Amino acid sequence: MKKTVSCSLLCLAMATSLLTGCGNSGGAAAGDPKGGEGAARTAKNDGKASASEPVVLHFWTGLGASADASHQAIIDEFNELYKDQGISVEFEHFVNDSNGNLKLETNLLGGSEIDLYVTYGLTQLTKRAEGNLALDLSELCARDGFDVVASTSSMAEAYFVNGKPYSLPTKLDQYGMVVNKDMFDEAGLEIPTSWTYDEFLEVCKKLTHGEGEDKVYGMFWNTGQDRSGYVKYLACQTLGGDNYYTEDGTATCFDDPVWQATIELAMTTMKEGYAPTHADTITEKLNMANLFAGEKIAMCMGPWLINTLKDTATYPHDFVTAFAPYPVVDENSRNYTQGGYGDMICINPRSEHVDAAWEFAKFYMTKGALYMAERGRIPAYNGLDKEEVVKAVLSGAEDLFDADTAVSVLIEPHDNYAYSTITTRMPEVQDAFYEELEAIWTEKKTVEEGLADAKERGDAILAK
Amino acid sequence: MREKRIKLSPQLRTDLTGYAFLLPNFLGCLLFTFIPVLCSLVFSFTDWDYTKGLGNWNFNGLTNYIEMWTDDWFLASLKNTLVYTAAVVPVTICLALVLSVIIDKYCLAKLPICLAMLMPHLSSMVAISIVWVMMYSSFGPITQLVRWFGVEDVPKWLADYTWAMPAVILMMIWSKVGYAIMIYTSAIQGLPAELYEAADIDGASEVSKFFKLTVPFLSPTTFYLLITNIISSFQVFASIQIMTGGGPGNSTSVLVYYIYRSAFGYYKMGYASAMAWILFVMIFAVTLIQWRGQKRWVGY
Repeated sequence: MKKTVSCSLLCLAMATSLLTGCGNSGGAAAGDPKGGEGAARTAKNDGKASASEPVVLHFWTGLGASADASHQAIIDEFNELYKDQGISVEFEHFVNDSNGNLKLETNLLGGSEIDLYVTYGLTQLTKRAEGNLALDLSELCARDGFDVVASTSSMAEAYFVNGKPYSLPTKLDQYGMVVNKDMFDEAGLEIPTSWTYDEFLEVCKKLTHGEGEDKVYGMFWNTGQDRSGYVKYLACQTLGGDNYYTEDGTATCFDDPVWQATIELAMTTMKEGYAPTHADTITEKLNMANLFAGEKIAMCMGPWLINTLKDTATYPHDFVTAFAPYPVVDENSRNYTQGGYGDMICINPRSEHVDAAWEFAKFYMTKGALYMAERGRIPAYNGLDKEEVVKAVLSGAEDLFDADTAVSVLIEPHDNYAYSTITTRMPEVQDAFYEELEAIWTEKKTVEEGLADAKERGDAILAK
Repeated sequence: MREKRIKLSPQLRTDLTGYAFLLPNFLGCLLFTFIPVLCSLVFSFTDWDYTKGLGNWNFNGLTNYIEMWTDDWFLASLKNTLVYTAAVVPVTICLALVLSVIIDKYCLAKLPICLAMLMPHLSSMVAISIVWVMMYSSFGPITQLVRWFGVEDVPKWLADYTWAMPAVILMMIWSKVGYAIMIYTSAIQGLPAELYEAADIDGASEVSKFFKLTVPFLSPTTFYLLITNIISSFQVFASIQIMTGGGPGNSTSVLVYYIYRSAFGYYKMGYASAMAWILFVMIFAVTLIQWRGQKRWVGY
């Protein structure tokens, strides 16, 4: 009997220890804002007091392994500079897709030890700023006299949330067509500096040749990131960043003739065989980088390919890649450039080392940007020498890129970016729109029908 | 006091010891299953956006439960789930029943065959889905096979509004049938041989033995497979997420997939919780009806 009693007591003890174990981690996981603030306050001196305990910052990035060398270079230089202050940085990967971002957000909510992380896209930044997952940087900016707008451009204000900076933009995205210059030369075509949909279609036709295995397509639409929605890249040049919405944001504008013309353009290229069809792209899992490096296509969208194409071990090729602006409906409708800031560094408000994190964020945005330029990421920071940036962007692959068009299309900043200011129920409106686009691409609906349905569904979502 | 405690009846003492052993497991269940389930019930009456943090919600009564019936995505997903279940469950079970009888009667190496058929059940759904995506591609074996049969305009399977759902259903039947065969084959081993001998003496045909003896004898097994398969079919997610992402359009969007998309794509945790509860009520109702109905056809 004694045995059973002691046995049950032991079990009880085990269970209680389990419970308390959970309780403790639960308390930490709740990450109540008060605890966070208190911790931040005690950490205020981290950056200055050299005698204090060494600080290891945890930095989460969504860039894949190909950027590891650049990250390591930035971190090595930073660690060296801040060695006597006892600050060092380690980086970790998350996958920049919906699941990966979910993992990041859950970790931030759950109070794990992320000090800094990168946000991709304004919609996400807004969510995180409003959800107290990103620190308002105004105070730190004011303290150090660091002006985000002056260090970049007035466009940075578009990335403020409720008028406050919650991130440091580190990358300038400027989009355009990626073209195989050798194929253009062969066909006797100039790299266009400005063109209309009609001219684009004509070029697609001239670049398309061959049959079966040897077929070369003039164009490839699916960017991998957007399997249906790529038409917005073209449409936004005329309609601007709020291209889903009417001016007051209360309805959608899918009845706009620009949408109609843009979708018809893409549809024509697929129907005429100038571009792989949507169904082929999906069922054969066609991949932009493989097709372009394999000389199966002459043009595609998405200049982030620059980093991929520099990796000649994985994508061996010897032709020259040039860049061209996207075509527009007609010459008078080039109102905007597709682009904006990206790779936005945010500080976790629950971080215990806010000051140290702030030092690293500034370093990454300014000096560090040159290392990232080697990965084809154009710095948002305007304090760098332009020549050096160009050199870094093309470094190691000078023969593979046409420097002039790379500078004019990708690097030289424009002043008319199409960035969005209205985000009302954007994910749902976009999903409804993409579904209708899919129906159009697969010829289940005509362009008119699909757009009419997209408008009806989008308006219904906004009216809810 | 101490005197009193020691005087606990032996029965009670044994019970307490038992409960103490159960406690760790029970606590785990309580913390990670029951409490979250109850929380989701509370969330389902709110407009909670999970990025706003815990507590930042407004109770909106039955709004979520009413709104979903005018939501095209929800209705389409519900329809797809029902179509999927109605196709996968009966076909899997019938196929498994017939195959296991054939395997039992006419196959020499029963165990290796059963094990081979069980492989998909043991493999990761993610891996299976990716392999099947390749099988359905324009250059994949399925397309080639159909073309070999003389069909010129082979559908684009996963990119086709009409064929995407059947394509997923076919894959799921393939992946589920092995487990059902395993269960049936073990059940068949236990069938009373003397009744079959008697039937043989009476000159019963193979077909009538199958329908008059095997099927009724296996009814408890069928009942078990029916319930578990219906529940898992209502909860299908991984294969849809990987193979089609609910597309093209919403032709393969199922309930769990839409719940996931609402919660983590649109951040509507309250609405997603409400849909999850509707899904639960549906599964519960279907299971209850089956449980009630079993008396009519299940013989033990």
